Amino acid sequence: MDALTLCYFIFTFIGLYYLSLFSLIYLHNIRHIYEWVKPKKEHEVSIVIPCYNGAEGIEKTIQQLSESDYPGLKRIIVVDDCSTDNSYNIMKECEKKYDKLLVVQTPKNTGNAAGAKNYGAKFVETELIGFSDDDAYPNKDAISKMIGFFDNPKVGAVTSRVLVQNRKKRLAKLQSVEYKLIAFTRKLFGFIDAIYVTNGPLSIYRKKIFDDINGFDEKNLTEDIEITWNILSRGWKVQISMLAIVYTTAPEKFKIWLKQRLRWNAGGIQTIIKYKKEFLRKGMIGWFIFPYFVFAWILGIFGLGLLTYRVSRYLMIQYLSTNYSIEAQTAILRINDISFAPSILFFFGITLLTLNIIFNLNALAHSRKEPEHFKRENIFDLIIYMFVYLLLYPIVLIASLYKFLRKDYSW
Amino acid sequence: MLKSQKHVFWEALLVTVLIFIVGILLGNALEQKRTEKIDDYYAQSEISLMDILIFQDIIKTNSTNCDTLIDSNIEFADKIYEEAILLSKYDDQQLTNSAELAQKRYSLLRTLLWMNIIKTQERCEKDFNSIIYLYSLNQEDLTKKAEQKVWSNMLQDLKGKYGNKIILIPIAVDKESTSLNTIIKNHNITELPAIIINNKVLTEIVTKDELEKEIIN
Repeated sequence: MDALTLCYFIFTFIGLYYLSLFSLIYLHNIRHIYEWVKPKKEHEVSIVIPCYNGAEGIEKTIQQLSESDYPGLKRIIVVDDCSTDNSYNIMKECEKKYDKLLVVQTPKNTGNAAGAKNYGAKFVETELIGFSDDDAYPNKDAISKMIGFFDNPKVGAVTSRVLVQNRKKRLAKLQSVEYKLIAFTRKLFGFIDAIYVTNGPLSIYRKKIFDDINGFDEKNLTEDIEITWNILSRGWKVQISMLAIVYTTAPEKFKIWLKQRLRWNAGGIQTIIKYKKEFLRKGMIGWFIFPYFVFAWILGIFGLGLLTYRVSRYLMIQYLSTNYSIEAQTAILRINDISFAPSILFFFGITLLTLNIIFNLNALAHSRKEPEHFKRENIFDLIIYMFVYLLLYPIVLIASLYKFLRKDYSW
Repeated sequence: MLKSQKHVFWEALLVTVLIFIVGILLGNALEQKRTEKIDDYYAQSEISLMDILIFQDIIKTNSTNCDTLIDSNIEFADKIYEEAILLSKYDDQQLTNSAELAQKRYSLLRTLLWMNIIKTQERCEKDFNSIIYLYSLNQEDLTKKAEQKVWSNMLQDLKGKYGNKIILIPIAVDKESTSLNTIIKNHNITELPAIIINNKVLTEIVTKDELEKEIIN
């Protein structure tokens, strides 16, 4: 067996392992996916919304949060991070309309969401502190569907299910599929205490823990991943409520999407480096989340390398043989070239692909508990997502690695 | 709140290992079936060749049976040519070395046939078109691999056109085969792929028409 074949086997094994793991977690917890906990007591919560040039969406975000049906929501604090657009004026207008709303402004632009979030946190005096984005629109029952998890004294943070609001452009449609699959797998991770990120659009933390860890790491490009790892490394649990739905605006232009992904992945590397001492050491973060992250990176980049090698080799042979065929004045394409004699690896590949498709379809089927005006994802988007979007994603990983190595920590 | 579910990691490992074992066993069975098929063909080919060799010995003193001998050679060459095509389909697909071993055995069998054709031509004092196509079994050089592909395609086309009027013997050259390498050396062949058409050696790609002319002449 040559090295390449061995690589394929290792890839297949790891792929099958994760798929089996997710499938088993799903089967064990099929009835609990949409479970939520009705709070035994009213946990008071304040929500902080950092805003920088978010004039387009901030009013709607404030409105959505103000309409929350959770009686324990005491304050909504909008932090203007010295916007250069009309955001601040819009916020001030909103402040007149909504009683719970407090508008504050950072002394100077902090340059990242973490800075504005930490600034806003200073005005919070409730037991729980939540954060949202200036382009996120939580359902009115989102907070009430999250709070009950805090009845468990071991739970340090609860996050929500993020779905894509804008689904007209192809790129946004693909992200819609992606977000649904991510939310589903994140819920499955929750059953093994392995949720590794509390998303930006809506997550709630115990204020005491938030203060203990000094809030968000302002040097990290993905403060929401970093804070989650920080909380987990201290032995707290993190939960997700699938019924707490928050809609976000996904990038519709490739350039903006790429910028966002570079930041996310470079932030991921920052977090891995920061918590490297946890590797195979402490609880789920060391034994599962850390290795999972690292494996995902290595497999993604190595897989792309392998694919590039195979494809370029094939193309090179095709190119050379085409040249020789022209030189020899013989047919370039022949029906005899098409032959089908599948190997073991082919069958493994097909099995893995089929199971993957079934898993993804099932995950999407679970995501249908959405308002009627959102149509179901069509199968075409899923195909593009699986065979183009995911396949090319490792390129973003490599570019993110480059961004990280260049120490380019800009947003 | 749900109880700890850490056992699921072991369950997943067990499921994965089971799927893998089943997959490996099924794959092995598939390869085994192919190997058996190739072995059957090989055994039959070996019998046919032995038959020809014995027949050749019988007619040593009698050249009136030459036509029968030539026909036998052509018929046998056609048979193992078909088998070569089948075998080439399995080349890249087998994980075990069974296909490679079969290729090596076939290479020797085809070399024997080639030698026999030379003897038949001498004995019967009759020329018939024989093309020996020598290629490398595990060619890593992409340029050579592409050359092999084009040669192979052209030869298949010509074989398809002229049928049993020409004898086409593709031989995968194994570096460890002393006999084959000696023959190659005797023909002053230093690089593969190479084609020997009625004792004339070609190593550079020629046009299909030129190749056809060489064969027909």
